[in-house]
Amino acid sequence: MATATAPSADFLAALHEYQPLVRRVCRLYCQDADDQQDLFQEIVLQLWRAWPRYVPQPDAKLSTWLYRIALNVAISNLRQRTRRPASVSVEDEAWHLAQPVEGSAYEPEETAALYAAINRLSDVDKAFVLLYLEDRPYDEMADILGITQNNVRVKMHRVQEKLRKQLVRA
Amino acid sequence: MELDDLRRQWQRPEPAAPLALTPSALGALLARQRGGLVDKMRRNARWETALAAGIAALLLVALPQTRNSLFRLYGGFSLLLMLGLLYYYYRLLGVLRQLAETSGSVRGHLVRLCGGLRQLLRFNYRLTLATWPTLLLLIYGFFVGRLLAQAGPFRWQAVAITGGILLVFGVVVQVGVVYFTRWYLQRLYGQHLDRLEGQLRELDDSSTPAG
Repeated sequence: MATATAPSADFLAALHEYQPLVRRVCRLYCQDADDQQDLFQEIVLQLWRAWPRYVPQPDAKLSTWLYRIALNVAISNLRQRTRRPASVSVEDEAWHLAQPVEGSAYEPEETAALYAAINRLSDVDKAFVLLYLEDRPYDEMADILGITQNNVRVKMHRVQEKLRKQLVRA
Repeated sequence: MELDDLRRQWQRPEPAAPLALTPSALGALLARQRGGLVDKMRRNARWETALAAGIAALLLVALPQTRNSLFRLYGGFSLLLMLGLLYYYYRLLGVLRQLAETSGSVRGHLVRLCGGLRQLLRFNYRLTLATWPTLLLLIYGFFVGRLLAQAGPFRWQAVAITGGILLVFGVVVQVGVVYFTRWYLQRLYGQHLDRLEGQLRELDDSSTPAG
């Protein structure tokens, strides 16, 4: 049961700094805005519970610890979700996310297609995509995912292949 | 367009900067958040532990005050059962505590979840299967004990007929319990377990070529 103990100032500061990271994880794993908010709250709850056991180490970043918890919650989400029909389709959401970037050489349609392809990946594959988009080096990805760097390379290559195939089919 | 091209867009700041969570807002969020399936299971296990402890305490108070030796005997059995249940819930809460730990690597977390859920399935299956025969044995023993305590000749016929009825009834109900328990546990944990094991296989599988 969640207790109402006041969160510490250092936890609040860390959460404020890394809130965009947590939001991006939610955005990648949930299309529906309500589901995104539910996942965000669940991740924050788990971060808060784990915070007293977090020990800063010189060779480990806080972001690595945060990615682990956020991905663990997102992938192994044991929440019994009510399967309500999505009010926004995957393609609509992908189109919404694909806002043009200044100087971008790509049309919003291409970006939307890539987002839609990512949405069709499995939860595990999405973790690889997320860490890749977040520009995490392979050693950190291996640390977060608990597999070897070589496996990360192999899996990353396969995920990119899957996305290419999906884009060709689309 | 490839993932590399998407990176720049992905990392651009949100149009509206996220609101800073104040201590009170975060406190309210944490108090409101009831957690996932593991949290629900922990809450249920705590309530059941409290119930078993309450019954055990009641028995401890009531037992010395009863004069009937049969009631004493059965009170003692019930107390032992409650102590057994308390040990079971202690183990169950330990497994659930492990499941709630999320700060390890993704693979480590999946391994822990799969192992923990398998353990829970075994726990619940064995406990449910043992409950009905134990209850019937207690009822039968109580009935035989009452007959033995009565004055006059022992009624072997009544003992045999009651035993036969309880046996047939017990077997029929137990078969139903087995099927229902399997269906219920599959519905409650099985689908999660299948999904988690699939994810673990997917994470481990880097030797076979991509399909």
